[in-house]
Amino acid sequence: MYRFFFGLSRLMAVFGGFILSALIVMVCVSIAGRSLNGFLHADMVQAMVPGLANWLLDIGIGPVNGDFELVEAGIAFAIFAFLPYCQITSGHATVAIFTDWLPERPQQFLRMVIEILFAVVLIVIAVQLKEGMDSRIRSGQTTFLLQFPIWWAYALSLAGAAVAACVAVYMAIVRTVEAFTGSVLIADDLGAEH
Amino acid sequence: MTNFEIGLLSFPALLLLIFLRVPIGLAMFTTGFVGLWLTNGSAFMAMARLKTETFTTFSSYSLSIVPMFLLMGCFATLGGMSQALFKAAEAWIGHRKGGIAMAAIGACAGFGAICGSSLATAATMGRVALPELRQYGYAGGFSTATLAAGGTLGILIPPSIVLVIYAILTEQNIAKLFLAAVIPGLLAAAGYVLVISIYVRLNPEAAGVRERVGYGERFRALFNVWPVLLVFMAVVGGIYAGIFTPTEGAAVGALGTGLIAWWNGGLTRQSLVSSFLSTGRSTAMIFFIVLGAGFYNGFLALTQVPQELSNFVVEQGFSPWLVLAIILVLYLIFGCVMDSLSMILLTIPIFFPVISSLDFGMTPEQVAIWFGILVLIVVEVGLITPPVGMNLFIINAMDRGTPITATYRAVMWFVASDIVRVIVLAAFPAITLFLIS
Amino acid sequence: QEVTLRLHQFLPAQANVPKLVLDVWADNVEEASEGRIKVERFPSMQLGGTPPELIDQAIDGIADVVWTVVGYTPGRFPSTEVFELPFMVSDARAASSAYWQMFEEHMKDGEFADVHILGTWVHGPGMIHSNKEVTSPDDMQGMRIRGATRQVNALLEQLGATPVGMPVPAVSEALSKGVIDGTTIPWEVTTALKVPELVDNHTEFEGAHLYNVTFVLAMNKDRYESLPDDLKAVIDANSGHDFSVFAGGTQSDADGPSRQIAVDLGNNIVTVSEDQVAVWRERSQPIYDAWVAEMSEKGIDGQALIDQARELMDAYDGGN
Ligand code: NA
Ligand code: NA
Repeated sequence: MYRFFFGLSRLMAVFGGFILSALIVMVCVSIAGRSLNGFLHADMVQAMVPGLANWLLDIGIGPVNGDFELVEAGIAFAIFAFLPYCQITSGHATVAIFTDWLPERPQQFLRMVIEILFAVVLIVIAVQLKEGMDSRIRSGQTTFLLQFPIWWAYALSLAGAAVAACVAVYMAIVRTVEAFTGSVLIADDLGAEH
Repeated sequence: MTNFEIGLLSFPALLLLIFLRVPIGLAMFTTGFVGLWLTNGSAFMAMARLKTETFTTFSSYSLSIVPMFLLMGCFATLGGMSQALFKAAEAWIGHRKGGIAMAAIGACAGFGAICGSSLATAATMGRVALPELRQYGYAGGFSTATLAAGGTLGILIPPSIVLVIYAILTEQNIAKLFLAAVIPGLLAAAGYVLVISIYVRLNPEAAGVRERVGYGERFRALFNVWPVLLVFMAVVGGIYAGIFTPTEGAAVGALGTGLIAWWNGGLTRQSLVSSFLSTGRSTAMIFFIVLGAGFYNGFLALTQVPQELSNFVVEQGFSPWLVLAIILVLYLIFGCVMDSLSMILLTIPIFFPVISSLDFGMTPEQVAIWFGILVLIVVEVGLITPPVGMNLFIINAMDRGTPITATYRAVMWFVASDIVRVIVLAAFPAITLFLIS
Repeated sequence: QEVTLRLHQFLPAQANVPKLVLDVWADNVEEASEGRIKVERFPSMQLGGTPPELIDQAIDGIADVVWTVVGYTPGRFPSTEVFELPFMVSDARAASSAYWQMFEEHMKDGEFADVHILGTWVHGPGMIHSNKEVTSPDDMQGMRIRGATRQVNALLEQLGATPVGMPVPAVSEALSKGVIDGTTIPWEVTTALKVPELVDNHTEFEGAHLYNVTFVLAMNKDRYESLPDDLKAVIDANSGHDFSVFAGGTQSDADGPSRQIAVDLGNNIVTVSEDQVAVWRERSQPIYDAWVAEMSEKGIDGQALIDQARELMDAYDGGN
């Protein structure tokens, strides 16, 4: 079970990383296009090589159309895709100083309650995101420049949110079993990072 | 119970949850959710907000800078830039008394110029410099404390994720905030070097001796630092010169460091995957806090608590400087147990209106930038103040032989230099505002 | 009081529209209700979310009343775009009046069926502020301009300029750094963004506006329905046609002081004469054609909307 959920979370995170990288490259291409476009329009260039400059402009040398909204849609997906991995490696920021002195079992019960709360919250988030997507499908809202339906971006994000909710439920079950058996199934420290 | 009272009560409730080890983002989210439920008499409004708010929080163009800077930090490490920086600094000053520790601070400052995160700087430079420090006989606690403090330069010297968040919360210009952070950041590095020289004078046994190296080797080592300079110029220079927006700058930096890492052979399939995982984990952590904070702050605004608080402070006629001092001290206290980003996201919507309503004899923009830099420093001190300081933990974990108490003792010297610096910068706003005027 | 209404919007409290329009509306409602209605005002998106979410916040009841830019949610309220077409509008009051009449006839039970609309209006003359003088359409060639609406972007592309999308608060920085060469915006907004300090040239159009943005003041439908009849009457009396004309007129009048700032700075203010506007208008005809085609795909008779809007604006006599 652990292998499956860990593998799934890892896969999502790596996929999110690729999307992030793609956005980075796209933004850089857009900057290059924008600078080149300005350069080709410059008086000097227009005077020296008008044919070449205008040919390049005609084939569409310029900023990537809608780069702004592509970043917005893509980054939302990447972050939702990162959530499951953060969840399964207990990567969320906590203040442990006031509970560390508790004996092991009360700590385990506390952890159980927290993970159950987290699972509930992530389920609610995923369900409401679905609601939001449905209302976007109904309303027909599009983006500003590319005018693709905004619900496409919601749908991508929903995939990450759904996996995050599943992983959170799994972690809640793990912590519950731990709390009632006193065992340690998944270690809870920073060690998972590197 | 009035909405205002519910708002006031939410503070202790939130703190209780956080101290019960509930993840900070989750604690803020839950408090906000329950608060909205209580003030509206039903969960309807909270649920309705969730239809769009998770998506719009995560799909922020300005905040996309955060994962880009994090990835850039990973690539910079893979590209050997941390190593090159440390080697260069060590070649030039490593032979002095306490010189390797000073070199580590210098390298941290250099790495801070291409990395937006404190933890990443601490972790990276720790891996590079800690073995060397220990090998040359530097004391355990002194070495770990030096690197933990050096790590904070990752945030104090621009680019800086905390400043990006502050800029977005207060609608200030990111480029100006970055520029304003330069002098205070360099002062921080200078202060740490001063601390080291005092410390080794008082504790001569805490530092070993390293042989002097020739100038040929020194210049060779210095030459290897060019990628760092290139990336810094491209990112911070490019943002400030207006060649691109801050988000675009982060993208250029990430791509640039990625290419350099690939060129230097540091970018393999495996290291790319681990960069994605580490970036993803931190990104998810940060954005969940951003989400929780947005939710909580929306609820708080509804109860009118921030507005009433700011009205109250103005009506009482407190001295602006007293209010500022109280706020900064509060940050220092909370910094002992909380992390910087959570503190900023939680408190700026409350404190910023208060500070903005006071008269410091400066323009609103100047006050906003100056206050931002002061807050940046005090929240970063939290990373190295006992008992909970993430930098302390990260570095200490790399040196199993050194007890955390030894690190705690030595780091207080660096904390002292931070406090002196905050006082100086608070008393003389011109130091911070010099470059942007 | 027995009813508290939360009014949520995206500008700071001291900006023109909150101060001159929304506060006036809220004060009037409070007064006319003899204190039974209280309007709590939340500027700067204090209640959370982003500006494009405002209309959903009104629909879902997160806020009771919102003021929002219709164009923030492209594709949802297509009919309103008739007032956003280039050189369509020549007077904000006339357009706001026509907008309300057409809203009642075509949009109330259609595009805006999920929400109770209190007012519909447009701002003053949309125009160009740039670092390079713009007098003829050809001057736009190669310029990077921040377009305010979908239709402006289409026009910019048509004229060979590069439309750059960015939120309003980012405009100052982008202008000062040369990321963009200019922006489209009415005078009224330029003061807060320090546009006159950042560019030297302003291009106004005689007789017609380069473009307009459409606004709505919207209320949650259930909230409105749940009010007792006498309070409903208070809301009704302060909303609708006359309020829309007041809002559009007030916003348009706020242009004057802002324009004066640019004059005092010695900036170059170009006024494109009515003859020349004809040339611009001709160049923007493809935008009209494209829009009518797009509307017919959605089952809307765009040409009829254009004709009716023109007719109503011409018929507007300044009074009631
Ligand atoms: Na930095
Ligand atoms: Na601390």
